Amino acid sequence: MPAEPPANAGYAVAAYAVAALILLLYFVSLLRQARK
Amino acid sequence: MTAAVPPPGLDRARAVIRRGTVLSTLALLGIAGVYVLAAAFTPIEARQGVAQKIFYLHVPAAWSALLAFLLVGIVSVLYLWLEDPRLDRFAASSAEVGVVFAAVMLTTGPIWAKPIWGTWWTWDARLTLTLFLFFLFVGYLSLRGALHDRRERARFSAVVGIMGLVLVPFVHLSVYLFRTLHPQPIVLKPSAPSLPWEMLRTLLVSTLMFTLLYVGLVTLRYGIGLAAEAREAHDAG
Repeated sequence: MPAEPPANAGYAVAAYAVAALILLLYFVSLLRQARK
Repeated sequence: MTAAVPPPGLDRARAVIRRGTVLSTLALLGIAGVYVLAAAFTPIEARQGVAQKIFYLHVPAAWSALLAFLLVGIVSVLYLWLEDPRLDRFAASSAEVGVVFAAVMLTTGPIWAKPIWGTWWTWDARLTLTLFLFFLFVGYLSLRGALHDRRERARFSAVVGIMGLVLVPFVHLSVYLFRTLHPQPIVLKPSAPSLPWEMLRTLLVSTLMFTLLYVGLVTLRYGIGLAAEAREAHDAG
């Protein structure tokens, strides 16, 4: 029987959250600059 | 009484900003779709578990960052030859967006490395060269911020941009040239991609969306630069 994959979903959630945060913050900062 | 006349060129800049905003919004929605695709419709890798899904963000972010820095280098060579200010404006936009994608690459990488390699970071060739590339372009942006003469700024930063162009192939080939913990390419390599179709599909969709986001953000940033120059020229003259 194949072994169960390791339980490490927390790392994936953290990486996805960090990536979304960086991209959204940059996009919002550009939109604020564009409105000046 | 007359209405204030907007600086010439501002309308064009606003049109570019609008285009960049629409493209970036579409790409961000597409990336939200990639999150769903990766979480619900892509199998869990047997040995690495769910953490392997970081791959669908880390690799496209690395691709977009290297594309951005490669284009800065090529456009910098062209700038030194043609001295067209549009090339300099593009290089500045691409470098800034590249640094943002590199930040995504350099944060998602260690978060993936910890459960798989057992360490957040190791000073091997691929990781160290990538960090150097990131700092080189942070330096590029600092240099741009420190110089006020437009032509001098464009010339000096083009030279730094070309140094980045030299470093990019080393980053890509470092996994072949040096002993490293980092895996070798599984898609951009001479033989066929070694990945099950469902995983390859998610990776390709994500790469497409990240590339679209690169185009959108560079367009938006280019428009902002254009608008600032139009206002500067109007105020000076």
